[in-house]
Amino acid sequence: MSGKSVVIEVKDLCKTYYMDGGASQVVLKHIHFKIYEGEFVAIMGHSGSGKSTLMNTLGCLDRPTSGEYYLAGEPVATRTDQELAVIRGQKIGFVFQNFNLMMKRSIVDNVSMPLIYQGVGEKERRERALEMLKVVGLQGYGDRPPSQISGGMQQRVAIARALINNPKIIFADEPTGNLDSTTSDEIMNLFTELNKKGITIVLVTHEDDVADYAKRMIKISDGKIEYDGPRKEYHA
Amino acid sequence: MIYQILREAWISISAYKLRTFLTMLGIVIGVASVVLMVAAGQTVSNEITKTFDSMGTNLIILAPAETVSGGVRGGRGRPSITFKDVEALKTLKDVETASYVVNTAVQAVYGSSNYGVSVYGTNPDYLAVGNWEIETGVPFTEKDVKTGKPYILIGQTIVDELFGLQNPIGKVLRLKGQPFTVIGTLKEKGDNLMGQDQDNIIMMPATTLRQRLRGSYRPNYADMAFVKVTEEDKMESVSKRIEYLLRSRHYLKEGTPNDFSMHLMTEMVEKVQNVGFILSLLLSAIASISLVVGSIGIMNMMLVSVTERTREIGTRKALGAPNRWIMFQFLAESIIISFMGSFVGMVFGVVLSQIAGHILEKQVPISMWSVVISASVAIFVGVVSGIMPARKAMKLDPIDALRYQ
Repeated sequence: MSGKSVVIEVKDLCKTYYMDGGASQVVLKHIHFKIYEGEFVAIMGHSGSGKSTLMNTLGCLDRPTSGEYYLAGEPVATRTDQELAVIRGQKIGFVFQNFNLMMKRSIVDNVSMPLIYQGVGEKERRERALEMLKVVGLQGYGDRPPSQISGGMQQRVAIARALINNPKIIFADEPTGNLDSTTSDEIMNLFTELNKKGITIVLVTHEDDVADYAKRMIKISDGKIEYDGPRKEYHA
Repeated sequence: MIYQILREAWISISAYKLRTFLTMLGIVIGVASVVLMVAAGQTVSNEITKTFDSMGTNLIILAPAETVSGGVRGGRGRPSITFKDVEALKTLKDVETASYVVNTAVQAVYGSSNYGVSVYGTNPDYLAVGNWEIETGVPFTEKDVKTGKPYILIGQTIVDELFGLQNPIGKVLRLKGQPFTVIGTLKEKGDNLMGQDQDNIIMMPATTLRQRLRGSYRPNYADMAFVKVTEEDKMESVSKRIEYLLRSRHYLKEGTPNDFSMHLMTEMVEKVQNVGFILSLLLSAIASISLVVGSIGIMNMMLVSVTERTREIGTRKALGAPNRWIMFQFLAESIIISFMGSFVGMVFGVVLSQIAGHILEKQVPISMWSVVISASVAIFVGVVSGIMPARKAMKLDPIDALRYQ
């Protein structure tokens, strides 16, 4: 993998939450890893293990307390809120467990929403959104509201939305948590397909059969990396 | 970018039509009532000005001094201005003309009809001074005044009440049993501000009135005198000259008070217009209470909206929306609501004031103020009631917002 460029590099990453009254809780302890372009990584861990915090930090929604974080070569650990928003808009795509679609807007509006903040014009936004809908297999649905389609399709809309800004990496936080097993398989197959096209994917899940779609696995336990290696070689 | 923000804001508020409409209604009612009240105040003020105009504004009014005994003001003092004083006033610089009146109220009788009327004894100049015009016939002359001819000019009310469709010119009517010949009729003036009918009037030479309708007490003295000044800004200087002339004609020593009082019409107009202005200010202040309530309505709705849309805000932030963008979007939503409310309110206010004016048969002005008020309300209320919810939306932490159920 050494020929590929590094998308994510974290060094000595720590996160401590300080509560009112002086108490503090260390959530991430000296995390260290790299993710290369084209990888499909599953981050696993029990609730409270720190995987959500790690995910938020990697997704530039939160800043580490200490340590370094390079996203596509750029240091992002100490950026301002404003700068992080720009980075999220340009380099990151998000897929959430509960889709987070705007139910009163059309599917095209939902998919093209991130482009508004990039200053892309209305016409181009629509064209690109329709193209992304083709990629996720939803051509012809653009002008309907998301409330008229199934949960699995809604998650496809969300995936199209995550792809629209040509991100360096996609973070999917329990993307199948609200779906039945058949639909889950469909969504995970879509991710696999996208990964084959070269898109880097980081998946957060606690379900083993979902994690099986990933090639690499990082297991977090008690704020530390317990395992980092090929998914197939992991034996609980 | 502004267009994109406004568009997103517009789509968001149009997703909640009923709620947006009800919130807007508060502003509509508020602005409409302010516009209505301003129109009401201006109408009153205009009516006042119109009344004064019908009397002439370049007037100085002279009356006997009020009696003061032991610090207590009495009524009007004994007559002090003579007909000859008024003739002398005419010769002053910047005086266009001067006139006087002695008045009384009598019953006018013609055939079997009779009607109570105010009678003005005056000189021919009174027509010019009081902005009266002759409708038919001719005015009486200086000569008629000297000889005390029983000639009269009658107002439209007398024409209607006593003569109906007959031509009154040359007819003889009786006042206190004495015959008077109608030589002319006066053009209609309508009611004055106090609702008095200005056309219920008979004019005749002052000498005639003195001799035939009133007792012989001080026969050459006027009840009131009027001086018409050529230009409005000469009022002050003319009033000084009048004072000087009358004091010397009345042989008043230095230190003794004037035996007459002087009122400048321009000052009275100003005073009354001030009252009108304060009136409209007061009315608008009361009306703007409803605007405050409407504004609170917007704030309330926006706060609910921010809470309801917490997840949407979190999603937008995660997908790259800068904090400012979120703030401006919510601010734009409240400004759009208040802008549309103000516009509709202005239209309603103007239309209602015109309808009211039509019903009350008054000229209601469409003032620039209503536009100015609604535009400033639109922006002010929109920003004031939107800023707090918008900042709340801006400050939401995307992680918490995404987790919000």
